[in-house]
Amino acid sequence: MAEETPVKAVQVKLVLLGEAAVGKSSLVLRFCQGDFNENTSPTIGAAFLTQKCRLENRIVKFEIWDTAGQERFHSLAPMYYRNAQAAVVVYDITKAASLEKAKAWVKELQRQANANIVIALVGNKLDLVSDSTSSDAAPVPAAATEESTETPEDDDESSSDPSTPPATATSATAESDDARQVPTAEAAAYAKESGLLFFEASAKAGTNVGEVFTEIAKTIPFDTITPKPATTQGGNRRNAGANENAGNVSLGDGQQAKKGGCC
Amino acid sequence: MSLPMHLRSYREKSKDELTRDFFNVPLQESLPGPSDPPFVVKMRNQPYRNSSVELQGMDINAVISVEGKEEVYAGRLSLLPPFLCFISLDRKSCRCTIPLYTIRRVERLNSRAGVFALSLATWHGMRIILQLTSLLPTAEHFAILLRDALKSQLAAMKQLKPFLPSLYSEFLLSPHSSNTADSSSGAATDHLLLGTELGNEKQAHTSHDGEGDLRGPGGEGKGHYQRGLGETFGFPGDARKMRERSKMKLWKEYFTIHGRNLTLLRYPPFQRLLQVGLPSRLRGELWEVMSGSVYLRFANPETYGLLLSQNAGKSSQSTDEIEKDLNRSLPEYKAYQTEEGLARLRRVLVAYSFRNPELGYCQALNIVVAGLLIYMSEEQAFWLLEVLCDRILPGYYSPSMEGTLLDQRVFESLVHRCLPMIQEHFVSVDVQISVASLPWFLSLYINSMPLIFAFRIVDCVLAMGVKVLFQIGLAVLKINGEALLEVTDDGMFINLMRSYFATIGDSAHPDHPDPRVRAITNFQELLVVAFREFNVITDETITAERKRLRAIISDEIEKFSKRAAVRNLKNIGKFSKDQIGIIYDHYFAAVCASEAGPSSMQSAFSGDQFDQPRIQVDAQGRVETRIDHKTFGLFLSEIATWAREETITTNAFIQRTDKRIADHELIDRLFFAWDTQKQGTLSLQDVVWGLDRVMTAGLMESIEWFFELHDKDKDGYLTKDEVIQLSESLLFIFRNEPGDVYLAAVSKFILNAYEFGDATAPDGSVEEKVPFNGEAETASGARERSNSTAGPHNLPYLNLATFRMVVLADELLENFFAHDLTASFQLEQTQDEDYHQAHQRSEGLLGGLMNLVVTNENKNRLNRLADGFGAALGKHAEWRKPALSKSADPAIASSSSDLRARESLLTPAQQAGQLQRNRSASAVSTSSTKTVSSTGTVTPEEKRSLADVEARYREESQMVRAAQEAVMQRPNFAIDAIGDSDGEDEGEGEDDSGVMDEVEAFLKAHGADDEGLKGEQKKVATDLLKAEPVGAKKPSKSGDLVDL
Repeated sequence: MAEETPVKAVQVKLVLLGEAAVGKSSLVLRFCQGDFNENTSPTIGAAFLTQKCRLENRIVKFEIWDTAGQERFHSLAPMYYRNAQAAVVVYDITKAASLEKAKAWVKELQRQANANIVIALVGNKLDLVSDSTSSDAAPVPAAATEESTETPEDDDESSSDPSTPPATATSATAESDDARQVPTAEAAAYAKESGLLFFEASAKAGTNVGEVFTEIAKTIPFDTITPKPATTQGGNRRNAGANENAGNVSLGDGQQAKKGGCC
Repeated sequence: MSLPMHLRSYREKSKDELTRDFFNVPLQESLPGPSDPPFVVKMRNQPYRNSSVELQGMDINAVISVEGKEEVYAGRLSLLPPFLCFISLDRKSCRCTIPLYTIRRVERLNSRAGVFALSLATWHGMRIILQLTSLLPTAEHFAILLRDALKSQLAAMKQLKPFLPSLYSEFLLSPHSSNTADSSSGAATDHLLLGTELGNEKQAHTSHDGEGDLRGPGGEGKGHYQRGLGETFGFPGDARKMRERSKMKLWKEYFTIHGRNLTLLRYPPFQRLLQVGLPSRLRGELWEVMSGSVYLRFANPETYGLLLSQNAGKSSQSTDEIEKDLNRSLPEYKAYQTEEGLARLRRVLVAYSFRNPELGYCQALNIVVAGLLIYMSEEQAFWLLEVLCDRILPGYYSPSMEGTLLDQRVFESLVHRCLPMIQEHFVSVDVQISVASLPWFLSLYINSMPLIFAFRIVDCVLAMGVKVLFQIGLAVLKINGEALLEVTDDGMFINLMRSYFATIGDSAHPDHPDPRVRAITNFQELLVVAFREFNVITDETITAERKRLRAIISDEIEKFSKRAAVRNLKNIGKFSKDQIGIIYDHYFAAVCASEAGPSSMQSAFSGDQFDQPRIQVDAQGRVETRIDHKTFGLFLSEIATWAREETITTNAFIQRTDKRIADHELIDRLFFAWDTQKQGTLSLQDVVWGLDRVMTAGLMESIEWFFELHDKDKDGYLTKDEVIQLSESLLFIFRNEPGDVYLAAVSKFILNAYEFGDATAPDGSVEEKVPFNGEAETASGARERSNSTAGPHNLPYLNLATFRMVVLADELLENFFAHDLTASFQLEQTQDEDYHQAHQRSEGLLGGLMNLVVTNENKNRLNRLADGFGAALGKHAEWRKPALSKSADPAIASSSSDLRARESLLTPAQQAGQLQRNRSASAVSTSSTKTVSSTGTVTPEEKRSLADVEARYREESQMVRAAQEAVMQRPNFAIDAIGDSDGEDEGEGEDDSGVMDEVEAFLKAHGADDEGLKGEQKKVATDLLKAEPVGAKKPSKSGDLVDL
């Protein structure tokens, strides 16, 4: 765990998943730009990058696994998302099928991954949609959740509260724009129902990219992740419990998280 | 979702294939003769051609020596048509693979008695002496095979001349290339060529300049060799630092003595030259020579061009994916910032995706090919890619990437074995080594370390095989061992590896006082550790580990696919997850079994099993496996009790149940009814939907779907014919029920159906009423009529309401539709598990389909044997398991009850003459019969097809008890018969193995002799160099001479 002296940096393992060519790598590059010159590194299995994200009271250091999107690499994905505290599942808003794939990823993560995992659903390529500017900030989630702080030192066991889907994305009713194939409302509704953070973003234009990661950083239940072995065990234990609503659980955690004692 | 079926049908390589792999020799079928059509698209399971007769290969002990060289090596000479290969006894000092089309002349040398030696003159003027040290007849046999193989290559020889200028070494060694052409070696070549008497006018006039003719007319083909991007854009690295010039000089010297390109021999200096890194300009050629891809390029001169021209303008999922990756393939290399470089990369990847559509394109191939293209032409890279995907890295880039997963597991197990501390630490901090090592293997380190070093690893991989990847990987871990023990998560691990590779060109001992030690780089240290400390990792190690772990990987991939497939179902109806899992298992098992083909399932699979089941790729690149009609039959036979014939056999020793797939129109009807998209195949989703409807149906729903199943035009009415067909379906389901109540019920059903049908039918169809009523007395009568005509029987006749009424009029049928029909579909985990486990056990641990087949055959034989003994003791019996009756426990069913059952059916059976036209009816006649195997004793080997049983039954039906008694009285015959036939079988087996043992022993003995005689043989070999060929002056008359 890298420790920067003034503010403690918390390491978060984040995995990017999604169909090929939805722009996973572009999102990461946009996010990490400046910090890394390895933009050009091709994705074999998964590319590994790191980027720090500054919140008011802490620094989150993302260790990002940018996985290969090609279907045949699917069977390798578990290697990367195991022990991940966060996942960004990306789809292409101009390609309806990519949302289906994204849903499959979400399902898989909720069943197979760490029970606490925070999942963000991101519709990329907002720049290709004509009225993207008008719907501007709309897709940013009502992640007001993160403000509800103050439940210090919650054990990770406490939080199975599936009834609070936090990401109430504003349903910017996707109008009749030509390129768009996935209406915002549809994806937002899905995200809400599955308990995901939801964004529409553009890696090209830079819209909303930083927000995705900041929002994730705010949502992560830090109490549960800081001591690594504990996390692992906690996660495994949870997994054994096999709760179908892992997504919700994590977000429930998110509500009280934010506090994060140690490190 | 992809069903990785081929994982189950994996077959370990045969010894012959392993030998070919070892020598980098392609299989014969991938080498079309000159007259064969070009071999363009490759498909698994489709042997490409059988046009020419396979030439026979042979191994023999031999001693090799080369003119101009002191060393003499004893080893093993293998004739692998069209190649001649040699490996020294220590398996490393000396080896070669010589295509027979490069051999100009073979002579038997005249030397001391008892020594059989051949002199080979190659195209490049090298003279190789091979002393065959086996017994004389063996050696002579080898010579005959060699002659035949050589003759078959005459046509290929003609292609050699136009081919060679594509190779840089030809240019390098031509007098035009530089002034350093060694005059002495040139003279030696001349002398040799003259001395071996070419006997060929064409070459005679150029014999003055032995090599001049190799570059085609004019000999000026300076620019004709195939070259990579590096020739234009510069090779990576500093040529001076890499000492390209001295390396080039050393190679040139090596070539003049040890042959070049196609005739290159690997002597000990080769290994040293290899490990210091190949010179850039020779690298491409040496890659293709070392890997053997050059033989493919030679044999398939048109393929690459054809692939591009035939597929020009086509796009596919692979081409789309390739397009996306082009700009991400070694973008730091100048050529890949230009359109030309990208175009080459695109063409090679696209051509390969069309050549091997099953593999298509896999990310990481872009990196590998981008690397190859720096040193190789497109065509060279294309063929090397084929060798990589097929042989060196099998399964690495396939859709399930099972080879990658497998080798990662192998790597982990090797780490566990060689570096246990690191392994333990990684386990304790829960970090998987694969997160770092996967790209190493997948991109041959090209993506992981600076190019100049990565290509040196590629050099070694192509020369020595995949074990190098493991050795390097282990060495990387070992060198970083201390730091690795500090790692606590995968991020740290990755960063550590990254910084190590970034400094791999730095000094390994920067502070050492001795400048020579300081000059040792991390990379050199890496190679030393890899090849010294991990030389225990051999090809055999890798093969054994792969074999051991393959079953686990296959199992994991299967489980993964299953999970994904189940998760991806849009609708699972009213089934639970477990039930869906069971359906999936059956579905998958059926797919596998039908792929395995007729040999493993004795039932109705004919020869076209490779066309089906069909695999479709959906828009997201997911592969969907659909099952065809036959596979569906197999699937249903596992689920529906009436869709299989279960024959329960007991004899004195065991009781077993044989299952066979039943065949009836009803099954076809279900198939077509479930094929909602009218594709002619069913997906897992279709099957789930179909089963959901039939398995959760109540009385009314069951009646409805059964009705609809037979209402072909979906107009809500059954025609008269369809009523008959429906009752046949019922009879089919009831065929094995004991007693005749079901038969009676169906008869009554037909009568009622016609009665009510006539009363309610639309006007047009009533005309036929009278004759029908008159005849429809018995079921058999009705059935007979159904075959007779069509015509008015096709009019709408009976609607659902009437049908329902008729059914409900009969208690038995009501019960049947209320629960028996639904219950006849059973999702039984246990039963399936048995099948599954048995399948996997034989597949996985024993290794592959072949074993499965063998196992089944053995089992069958054992069963037959047991039957035979059982029959001999009068204890043999078999009967059909009924589909519906729940208490059909064969252990309980006594012989008396069976006799009763038979008697009750005797009447229909005796009507067989009348019924012969109707198969299903005759099937009914033999249902629930206990067949006492008296005739069985005569031919226990015979498969008891339904027809046999039937025939036998008819013969015996008059005198069943007498037959039974007869059985009791004939034990001696029976034993004799069985003893004879089985003895025969086993005898053959024994003979074969006996012969093999003898051969082995013989060969071993000789191997030992060789070693003992080594010193003396060396003398002989050197003598041979000076020996005169037998009858050198008149070659055509000598019988022993193979003269080209």
